[in-house]
Amino acid sequence: MSMMHASGVKDAITATSVPPTASLMRWVIAATLPGIATMSYFFGLGIISNVLLAAAFGVALEAAVLRLRQRPIRVKLNDSSALLTGVLLGASLPPASPWWLIGVGMIAAIVVAKQLYGGLGHNPFNPAMVGYALLLVSFPTYMTLWAPPQELLPNDLWAQIAGTLPTAQLDSLSGATPLDAFKHKGEAVLASEFWAASPLPDGTLSAWRWVALAWLAGGAVLLAKRIISWHIPVAMLGSVLLLATLFYLSDPSHFASPLFHLLTGATLFGAFFIATDPVSAATSQRGKLLYGAGIGALVMIIRTFGGYPDAVAFAVLLMNLCVPLLDLYSVPRPTGQQKASPGKPGEQP
Amino acid sequence: MSNVYDFPGGIYPPERKQRSNQSALIQAPLPGRVILTLQQHSGQPATPCVAPGDEVKVGSVIAKREGMICSDLHASISGTVSEVGTTQITIDGDGQDNWERLPSLDWQRAEPSALLERLNESGIVGLGGAGFPTHIKARVVERHAIHTLVINAAECEPYITADDLTLRHHANEVLEGAQIVAKLCGAQHIMIGIEDNKPDAIKALKHALSNYQPINIELKVIPTRYPSGGERQLIKRLLNLDVPSGGLPADVGVLCHNPGTLLAILHAVRDGQPLVSRVVTLTGEAITQPGNRWVRLGTSVRELLEQAGLNTPELHQVIQGGPMMGSPLLTLDTPVTKLTNCLIAATLNELPPPPAESPCIRCGECESVCPVALLPQQLHWYARAQDDAKLERYHLFDCIECGACSYVCPSHIPLVVDYREAKSRIRLQRIEAVKAEHAKHRFEFRQARLAREEAEKQARKQARQAQQRRSSTSAAASSEKVDLRGLRIAHAAAKASVKKAEKTLARVAQEDPKQSLDDLEMQLATAQENLKAAELQLAQAREQQSSEESP
Ligand code: SF4
Ligand code: SF4
Repeated sequence: MSMMHASGVKDAITATSVPPTASLMRWVIAATLPGIATMSYFFGLGIISNVLLAAAFGVALEAAVLRLRQRPIRVKLNDSSALLTGVLLGASLPPASPWWLIGVGMIAAIVVAKQLYGGLGHNPFNPAMVGYALLLVSFPTYMTLWAPPQELLPNDLWAQIAGTLPTAQLDSLSGATPLDAFKHKGEAVLASEFWAASPLPDGTLSAWRWVALAWLAGGAVLLAKRIISWHIPVAMLGSVLLLATLFYLSDPSHFASPLFHLLTGATLFGAFFIATDPVSAATSQRGKLLYGAGIGALVMIIRTFGGYPDAVAFAVLLMNLCVPLLDLYSVPRPTGQQKASPGKPGEQP
Repeated sequence: MSNVYDFPGGIYPPERKQRSNQSALIQAPLPGRVILTLQQHSGQPATPCVAPGDEVKVGSVIAKREGMICSDLHASISGTVSEVGTTQITIDGDGQDNWERLPSLDWQRAEPSALLERLNESGIVGLGGAGFPTHIKARVVERHAIHTLVINAAECEPYITADDLTLRHHANEVLEGAQIVAKLCGAQHIMIGIEDNKPDAIKALKHALSNYQPINIELKVIPTRYPSGGERQLIKRLLNLDVPSGGLPADVGVLCHNPGTLLAILHAVRDGQPLVSRVVTLTGEAITQPGNRWVRLGTSVRELLEQAGLNTPELHQVIQGGPMMGSPLLTLDTPVTKLTNCLIAATLNELPPPPAESPCIRCGECESVCPVALLPQQLHWYARAQDDAKLERYHLFDCIECGACSYVCPSHIPLVVDYREAKSRIRLQRIEAVKAEHAKHRFEFRQARLAREEAEKQARKQARQAQQRRSSTSAAASSEKVDLRGLRIAHAAAKASVKKAEKTLARVAQEDPKQSLDDLEMQLATAQENLKAAELQLAQAREQQSSEESP
């Protein structure tokens, strides 16, 4: 019969219920919008130019590599994963990063971290964080160019994106992030003295808090729509909170408060948008709990004892390394796999 | 709605039951010709015992059970056998519908052995899907104490309403069938598990339950969720018992039957009517008169669908079974078997082919719905890599192939297809590995057969001699000392090994109906030959001894 394709069982029967992978990615992109909007409100249009540039690089690079690998470009680009990587890396960079910096970061992310490993689904490391980490260690000056909120003029903005801003002016633009400032306050300075000296330009701290809350809002949407599972964010934030509290209680004069750790830097952004990247995260639910907790702990350890003020990228990459191990040791026990307990009915008569 | 327990995972696919549950259960027209396949159950195909030209009535045996996991097959219409093929028997009907029934049995009074024999000769198999011969399942009581009989009326697959309608129309009879089984297996409780999306069936059951029931029956209504009709899932829900991996419900003292099977059991016992028809759900957007019909086995699917108003140009595919676990039919020229519970004539719109697969992004959706708490994403990885050691480690063989994981996968990966393939690949490897073993077992079987034949010869000789002795009254008794005790031990050992072989075979077949059982059947046959030989020798020795004692 003509309409009965002899396609066998392969002609699978079920329609699926969950939105397809591509729309999962688009949901995540949509959920970054409040964060990006809030950031650009406080830190200027440079944020938006970052995101747009990185996204464009992402799509172009992915297309180029797919072409080289002779894979169907349209189909693969449709999954929007390259776009998402661009958005995430763009949102992590200091405002109005020069185009070549973004380009280098995206090459590391898309070409090296993703496509060289076989494309979507096969990359062991979070691509955006590979790009970010590379930039952080290679171009530390550029990566600390956090202009004080709303100080970059449109002219300078353009010059900086184009990479033509004179170096002297670059320096004057640079403003510390709260984590950075606190990190470099010096051993002798007590936390209370540090805060009393109001070390940051006006509004910096509250700007960071608003941004963090915007990421939280986006994350809440993802959770509510079941785009991401709660395991990783809850475990990660939980372990940050726990360790920060322990540190703080042990010596409030030197350690920052738990709230400070939660609401500044990339903690919330990382918890909802970076650590939850399913491809490079642990896969089982138990594994995810361990994975998230590990990231949280590493974030606190690196922030407190390491050389970098914020640590989400490194923490995520380090935990990516542990995923095979976590996957191996977090296999759930299937139902019925235990020995039937003695004394239950059904023994030999 | 009393306390129900929970199993992990599960999904809520759209139900689409209302399409077939609106109209009453009716008889499908009597087919003019039927094709009865010899393999209508798990295990070995039946062996034909009719020849072309033979006249048969409804209920005449046309193929006999051979081997243990097998089942008799009966003519489903009266008429003439027109063809006996290697896989099927064709009967041309005479339109008379003449029946040949067995005498009816009063199950309250009948011996268990008579009831078992009746199940055996009625060709009843589990009508829920796997088609395990019912008489073998009923004998489970020889090995396990059963405390509860579960009537699996969950029917969680979308579309299928066969059990629903069976209960609405025959609740009393289903319960009576359950009483028979409970009596046979010595169960003290009967529990009905039914999903709350079948209010009419629940009403019918409640009404039926108000009558006197010798063994108390408890009705448990459970929330609708796929796959709560899975045996293990249902037992977990109703009784909070975990059937051990690689085990059977009987291991936790439970026996499961679906309503259709229980009804067939009652028909066999009370009316002497073998399994010649079953309820089939006809549904899907491509037919205009959906509903449930009593269908004679062997009716052509095409005929059945056309009677239900098949819209051929709209038809995209026909699925036998439910949309989750069933499989597409490659041709409509295929007959209804004991396993055909549902035929979905689907349009392209209704069950579209899945979108192209994209890579697994390890989102874990599949894990969160797996009712067995497996890691489908890892299994997928290792199935594609054919890493069998890892597949075992991640418990591939615990997968019940429910398809919940494929259903939710955002990357549209046909996960369950992968697992089926991996399972059959591994099974094949195992079969390869036991081939040598199989040869050995064949040799042993031959030896056993020769020994049995020798024993028979001896027995005949002995009988002749005894006759002669008696007639000549000469006291020339054989001088050999009879080792009666040794023979008795050998006999007991042979009996035990038959039991053991039966047990292994039944377990393997029931656990995994798709497994090839040749080798196990062979081992059983060997054990049976040995037993026969031992019996003969023992009888012979007894005879000899008695003749010595009283010359
Ligand atoms: S649901 Fe699909 S994409 Fe998600 S982890 Fe499972 S197999 Fe991978
Ligand atoms: S098909 Fe197997 S792996 Fe998938 S959900 Fe069902 S039991 Fe789990």
